[in-house]
Amino acid sequence: MKIASNTGEELSMSERPLNVSRRKFLQSSAAGAALAATGSVAMPGVLRAQAAPIKVGVLQPVTGALAYDGQQGRIGAELAIRDINAAGGIKALGGAKLEMVFGDARSTPEGGTQEVEKMQAAGVAAIVGGFASPICLATTQAAARYDLPYIVDVGVSDQIVKRGLKNTFRFGPGFGTVATQALDNLARINDAAGKPAKTVVLVHEDGLFGSGLAKLMAAELPKRGFEVLEMIAHPTPTRDMSNVALQIKAKNPDLVIPSSYYGEFVLLSRTMQQQRIRPKGIYAVLNGAASNFRFVKEFPEAANHVMDCNHWHDPRKPKALELRKEVEGKGNFWTYNIPMNYSAVLLLADAMERAKSADRAKIIEALAGSTFAGHIMPYGPTKFADGQNTGAAPVNTQVQGNDIKVIFPETFADAKPVFPVPA
Amino acid sequence: MTARDVLPIVVVVALLALIPPLVSSNTVLNFLVFTLIIALAAQGWNILGGYGGQYSFGHAVFFGTGAYATAVLQVHAGLNAWLTFGLGIAAGALVGFVIGFLSFRSGLRGSYFALVTLAFAEVFRIVANAAGLTGGAAGILIKLDVRPENFQFQSRGAFVWIGLGLVAAVLLATRAIERARFGAYLTAVRENEDAARALGVDPFRVKLAAITLSAAVTAAAGCLYAQYFLFLDANIAYGAWISVEALVAPIIGGIGTVFGPLVGALALQGLGHLTSHVAGEVPGIDLVVFGVLLIVMVAFAPEGIVGLLARLRRLGRRRPAEAT
Repeated sequence: MKIASNTGEELSMSERPLNVSRRKFLQSSAAGAALAATGSVAMPGVLRAQAAPIKVGVLQPVTGALAYDGQQGRIGAELAIRDINAAGGIKALGGAKLEMVFGDARSTPEGGTQEVEKMQAAGVAAIVGGFASPICLATTQAAARYDLPYIVDVGVSDQIVKRGLKNTFRFGPGFGTVATQALDNLARINDAAGKPAKTVVLVHEDGLFGSGLAKLMAAELPKRGFEVLEMIAHPTPTRDMSNVALQIKAKNPDLVIPSSYYGEFVLLSRTMQQQRIRPKGIYAVLNGAASNFRFVKEFPEAANHVMDCNHWHDPRKPKALELRKEVEGKGNFWTYNIPMNYSAVLLLADAMERAKSADRAKIIEALAGSTFAGHIMPYGPTKFADGQNTGAAPVNTQVQGNDIKVIFPETFADAKPVFPVPA
Repeated sequence: MTARDVLPIVVVVALLALIPPLVSSNTVLNFLVFTLIIALAAQGWNILGGYGGQYSFGHAVFFGTGAYATAVLQVHAGLNAWLTFGLGIAAGALVGFVIGFLSFRSGLRGSYFALVTLAFAEVFRIVANAAGLTGGAAGILIKLDVRPENFQFQSRGAFVWIGLGLVAAVLLATRAIERARFGAYLTAVRENEDAARALGVDPFRVKLAAITLSAAVTAAAGCLYAQYFLFLDANIAYGAWISVEALVAPIIGGIGTVFGPLVGALALQGLGHLTSHVAGEVPGIDLVVFGVLLIVMVAFAPEGIVGLLARLRRLGRRRPAEAT
């Protein structure tokens, strides 16, 4: 109770002088001047000073094991804030600008929690980010204590949205959705090519993501007409994939389905290339490398024709392509973290527009009723059910000629699948 | 124990206990809770490592067992959180007893003991990562239900006091051990196990008692972690990070001293946050500063902060004597 009243005081203290000045200004000037706030050249400086900036917490792990993903996520959020501000800020709030309060989650749940506390003290209106599931689980909970709206960018663990936290919204798809979609899409791609693939070897890392997915695959693939020949587990990190490659060679499957992180998958695909193991397809799910331009640029031959079911931007949206060009122009690789965080910040801004307020309870209400469609992901309009965006879905990508193309579903595709892979 | 033994502990704990009512910033309180959890884990390590000379590299095994026992018993057995807190400590002590029995019975000492504890922690981590009971790699969540009877509090201050209460209890217990016969045995075993045996000390029993107690204290830290963050996975509970924290804090603070672990944890965690605050925007620069300071401290104050303060005090005393 004490906390809530404290924060209430802090917020009103910081906002009061600015609100008063705006009211005074509006009283003394025509309403037209306020409407002209975004485009007017008459008094842009004065008007810009009117609306207090709205602080938005951006939480990403930029040090520790997940530093790379965190940096990428931060780029996405920063670009979104820049674009929103350049387009005139939150118009319903007098063109209020968004101000980023960045927090480094240090790749740990405790680190993330500490940053949530700092953001709360800084008076943010909402938080976007988290990236990894353990971080998201801890930070959403910490934010829930303050009824602080929290938009999860990636974190795929389905526990995140199954705790009844009113403040927590996940923009991207969860593990369950991705796995089912991956299986369905695989069956469709295979059917469309005339069912060339019948046998499968599953290679997976032995953590949450790999073993969970492999178990599900082993249970579901036979129902869709595939025979699972072997399940090969490996720890993360693994520094030699020769044995795994030899096991694959011995089984000679039509399809290899790897569920591993970046380093291990790159190693596996290179080892398979060296040993001339050429299945009809490599079909990855939520893979760390298969939708990563670093892999494509560094090992183009090993990467060519690898398919993945993963988060990806919508290639038909000009804004997505424009952003990609900009990011690559600055010498960064384009990863899914960027469009996801970009879209999540836009989603938040849209909620503020409709709430006509930076008040937390009103933002939560606006998010819960969101139908936001201005994002750059291959999702339909946003619709939250218990905090999960039911419009979110993964897509299938394939590496084709040094680029990553969307091959499925057709509505979002910018290329046709190359399957079976030509020998 | 005399009043002089207890007084410094009472003063330090009282000062720390005054922080929650005076400081309303949850950032500070959250930092304090986490630091107290680390301090408690480090105090556990200090009993076995500092006083008994048995350097464990795998105190995560006790931390994780306490944490998992608390979480699993609440989630799967539906037990009350306060009860599971006690059971978590008991489970940690039991694991400590078993590991101690196995490794000390085989006469493992020094680096061999360190390696065995490291291996145990890894085995527990891998098992917890695969087992269904612990939620596997997906981890386990304690349901957020903020009620005091659930060991969950709206205010961070309550956790500071609970953490502080546990740390205070261990401070007193450590002081009592120092003054008791058991402490003398433990020091004797640390200094020279064979000589201690020749004098009639049973090193096996002494070390077994020390590791059990040490494990119980570190398990309490694990229970507190689980109850505060309400989420665990194998890398949090049994990861190498907590083994390292539990060992570095006493080394920095002053190994084999009552206040060493607390001082070390406060100094290290405080330094980390201070540097990140000052360094600001550049990600990771605080870690660089932190690393450099750590090296400097180990190089110039090998006895830790408590040892350094004692040395300064001795110097201070000698100077006026020389002057007269």
